[in-house]
Amino acid sequence: MAEGVLSPGVNLEAFSQAIAAIQALRSSVTRVFDCLKDGMRNKETLEGREKGFVAAFQESLHSVSRDLGELERLSNLVGKPSENHPLHNSGLLSLDPVQDKTPLYSQLLQAYKWSNKLQYHAGLASGLLNQQSLKRSANQMGVSAKRRPKAQPTTLVLPPQYVDDVINRIDRMFPEMSIQLSRPNGTSAMLLVTLGKVLKVIVVMRSLFIDRTIVKGYNENVYTEDGKVGYCISSNIKFYFYLVTDHATTALLHYQLPQMPDVVVRSFMTWLRSYIKLFQAPCQRCGKFLQDGLPPTWRDFRTLEAFHDTCRQ
Amino acid sequence: MGVTCVAQVPVAEGKSVQQTVELLTRKLELLGAEKQGTFCVDCETYHTAASTISSQGQTGKLMYVMHNSEYPLSCFALFENGPCLIADANFDTLMVKLKGFFQNAKANKIESRGTRYQYCDFLVKVGTVTMGPSARGISVEVEYCPCVIANDCWNLLMEFMQSFMGTHTPGIPSVFGTKHDSIYSPADTMVQYMELFNKIRKQQQVPVAGIR
Ligand SMILES: [Zn+2]
Repeated sequence: MAEGVLSPGVNLEAFSQAIAAIQALRSSVTRVFDCLKDGMRNKETLEGREKGFVAAFQESLHSVSRDLGELERLSNLVGKPSENHPLHNSGLLSLDPVQDKTPLYSQLLQAYKWSNKLQYHAGLASGLLNQQSLKRSANQMGVSAKRRPKAQPTTLVLPPQYVDDVINRIDRMFPEMSIQLSRPNGTSAMLLVTLGKVLKVIVVMRSLFIDRTIVKGYNENVYTEDGKVGYCISSNIKFYFYLVTDHATTALLHYQLPQMPDVVVRSFMTWLRSYIKLFQAPCQRCGKFLQDGLPPTWRDFRTLEAFHDTCRQ
Repeated sequence: MGVTCVAQVPVAEGKSVQQTVELLTRKLELLGAEKQGTFCVDCETYHTAASTISSQGQTGKLMYVMHNSEYPLSCFALFENGPCLIADANFDTLMVKLKGFFQNAKANKIESRGTRYQYCDFLVKVGTVTMGPSARGISVEVEYCPCVIANDCWNLLMEFMQSFMGTHTPGIPSVFGTKHDSIYSPADTMVQYMELFNKIRKQQQVPVAGIR
């Protein structure tokens, strides 16, 4: 890089002298250690030896202190690098002579401004939304008032025992749904949810947060060769369960409540359970079973009624 | 394997078997179904040999040995109203060895061959039923792959069949009635084919009177 670009407010002359001073300081420090390493030279008398060593040591220490003094003096002359740039080193972009072709600096300033605004608004929105969602889920899911104030741990690190307990409790809530918990890949739990004789859902958890869901047919294989629950096994039933998987992912995004992950899991399972009448429920809008060869795959988040993907709003 | 319904479609008035099959497949293709090769279901009839009849003092039961191209490694052995045995394909050689007890009524061999279609999660097989050299009828098999409980998806299956079979949509197959909540199996499909073949055989035995 050209020196000119680096030099706003920097005394270049002093700068190069300072570099030379650093080199001098380093070599004098090296001499001190050389002198210590060599120890006392061979002289006729013991006294002579000691005297020679002390003199040499003193001299090299002096030169160190002299070089250090010089460096300190020069460093004051060098001046401070441009601190008046609000964006520190990125401020150097403003010095780019080809400003017209690459307006990086002005774009950067704009981006910075917008990112600040975004952060501010996101903060406000998150505050508002948190109040709202607490209220709504309390109405919707019938969380008892007694439970509500109890703060849940919001971190991603929950003891596996706690996760097991929550899942067990949910398992007992729905008799037609069985939840089998395993940990094939370390601490993260993997749930195999079997809904009647209708479908199987593989739910990948991270702590108590649902990370991913895959919906499979009841007669499809969900185990890998070594007998673990696997979520990469391909499906031969192309359309139906693919769509339901899509909807389940949408449901995950809908039921979000970071403060109460166990409520989220319970809401999700309640929604999932509405698929028990998967093949028996006609669409609530057009009254038919099939549309373009597909049955009603969508379940409303609130009423849990069945709709075709194309018949919902 | 999903839930399957096998039905007979009558030959359209003034048309041949072949022409009626073409009408059906054209409707399927218009619907958007994709052709996926061919299929074949065959059925051989075995009489219990005379020696065993006398010892049991009853008329001989018929046994049917069937194959289905959807399950190329299996062989199905069925009695009417009786159990269905699913065996390996080399069951046929065993039947040859059992000649003393079961005799193959070669003239009764009947089969259905045709095209296999896929439409979304439905498999549709439209076949021409032949006995000896002549075409005797048309079979339509509709399978809904995602479901395993017959009664759960009957309404859905029926709605689909109406879309291309119209007034010839069949009623609920008798095997569905006995299934309740148990899982539908390939044997249930073979029972339906056996019933269909028996119906067509009887139609053939009684000469069609009153048409001309
Ligand atoms: Zn609809």
